[in-house]
Amino acid sequence: MKRLFAAAPCALNLSLLCCASLAVPGAQRAEWWREWRSELWHVRRACASSDGIVWRTECEILAFCLGAFQDAWCLRRHARRNSPRAPLHGSAVQCLLFLAALLAASYALAFLLPEVRIARHPWRSAAKSGLILVEEQGQDGPSKAAISFDRYRDWSTHQHRYFDGFAFYRMGREEVTAGSGPPSRWRLAMSSANLFTLLGFPIQFAGGDDGADGSLPRMVLSYKLWRNEFGGNPGIVGSLVRIGRRQVKIVGVAADRVWKLPGQPDAWLLEPDIAILGAGAGHIIAHLTRQGRAEMWADRVNITVYNADHSEQDYLGTAIGEHTPGPWDIYRFAALLALLALPAITSVSLGEYSVSAHRPPWPRRILRWMYLAAKFTLLLPIAYFVSLDCSYWHASQQTAASEYAQLFSTFVICLFGIRWALLDQRRRCPVCLKRVAHPAQVGLASRTFLAWNGTELICTGGHTLLHVPSLPTSWFGTQRWLYLDASWEFLFAGTDAG
Amino acid sequence: MGSAASSDPKLSHTAAMILQAINAGCIYGFSVMEMTGLPSGTVYPAMRRLERDDLIRSHWEKQSIADAEQRPPRKYYRLTAAGKSTLEASRKRYPLLERLIPSEEAKSV
Repeated sequence: MKRLFAAAPCALNLSLLCCASLAVPGAQRAEWWREWRSELWHVRRACASSDGIVWRTECEILAFCLGAFQDAWCLRRHARRNSPRAPLHGSAVQCLLFLAALLAASYALAFLLPEVRIARHPWRSAAKSGLILVEEQGQDGPSKAAISFDRYRDWSTHQHRYFDGFAFYRMGREEVTAGSGPPSRWRLAMSSANLFTLLGFPIQFAGGDDGADGSLPRMVLSYKLWRNEFGGNPGIVGSLVRIGRRQVKIVGVAADRVWKLPGQPDAWLLEPDIAILGAGAGHIIAHLTRQGRAEMWADRVNITVYNADHSEQDYLGTAIGEHTPGPWDIYRFAALLALLALPAITSVSLGEYSVSAHRPPWPRRILRWMYLAAKFTLLLPIAYFVSLDCSYWHASQQTAASEYAQLFSTFVICLFGIRWALLDQRRRCPVCLKRVAHPAQVGLASRTFLAWNGTELICTGGHTLLHVPSLPTSWFGTQRWLYLDASWEFLFAGTDAG
Repeated sequence: MGSAASSDPKLSHTAAMILQAINAGCIYGFSVMEMTGLPSGTVYPAMRRLERDDLIRSHWEKQSIADAEQRPPRKYYRLTAAGKSTLEASRKRYPLLERLIPSEEAKSV
């Protein structure tokens, strides 16, 4: 044990050196590692104590090893400074390529993460438009089943001007026996046969319905039950289960988290209308015709039914899911908020003020605007996909937390992304679109004698000089471009003029 | 830090101390640290800069010597001609340098 304690600091020191060596340029790494290892050996020998671990000594050795990071970083910085610059360095193309790579990476991540993929295709997009959940007027909420099956049958057997389809379901608990296992109690939605067709919900692994057992009642399993009870085995589709004494056939698995209607069924039993007949109220889903949709106010429609005894009964139809904002709606809202907040953190001007009357030619100016538009075009989808990746990577379910996370991340990315795009635009030479570099601080002496304090940056192509005031004044409030004439060309001979 | 090629190279006080330490016989990194009291994160990067500027030169100890003493070989540093002249100029700029780190000649006197 004592030997282990003595070896641990050695291992820690070597691992620190190993980590630091990663920052050293490859060509120098071997020699760097050899020198530091050798020095460490000598440091350890010089500081060694015969009493085993002395914390003060170990701290000194640790401080010595931490210095390796500084050394490695200096070597890296020097190598980077002296490496030949690529021709695209600082150019507009390089910037756009970087953004395109970022977009591709964020999209790939959104495509590969199953949770994000599900979040991008929420239930709203799976459901048909014009669907309403019908409930009685004055009811507390739609979760309480209140409509009888007779009412559904009455409506579905008559022609209507405002509706072209009805479906019914009723929640109940039943003993279900699957295979030779013991029976278990499932929450079943006894539904009309057209429920999934009317809702437009996708059924996975569907296709086992057209066999010889077509007369049997059909069952669609919920995704959760399929995973928990059947281990996610697709082979379960087509097999038979027993509900009491009846046999039913599993015909598919409902897509995950598409069901947002009242009740949380483990499975849906799709039966002919006559088989659902019985006691107990349920829920009616109706599909509106074009005329019916015209009658909707916001996401609601009032329905008055005239009974045979000339009495009236009022119902309320609520659009299914249309009030739930999806990721796309959250993104649009957050992006709008970011646009509104933008003037608070940066000037929205592009700083295209010139010291003289000289202006670059039209094609160059159009190119500059196109570059700005390209940046925005790439930035906005980046914000969308990155925010999705950040918010839904662990939970496809649109919980309040993930919605707030998406709202916040979209807002931050849009706000600071657009700010960066504007700042970058202001630092681009209007002639060659390269970033102006080599800043020269004009400080105390100029302020004293010339009343000027700011920064001057020059285009490496020799096209322009940018004056940026440090303290905006009434006569020099914003940055200004000075277009350099041909007399400057000899200074930039040999550089890429862009 | 000025380069050796420049007519009047000016070293920082730290770099001058390291040059003086090497001149005083501290010919490897750890001994420079001990002599100057500077941390490793300052000494080693500074020695690399001095080497880049041709003020010092390094060489590895022979493996046979290290093997005989059962230790890893060390990297030794020594001043170049440019380093010696720069150190002379630095001594004028920092008069206390020699008192802080006496050179071998001064010690023998």
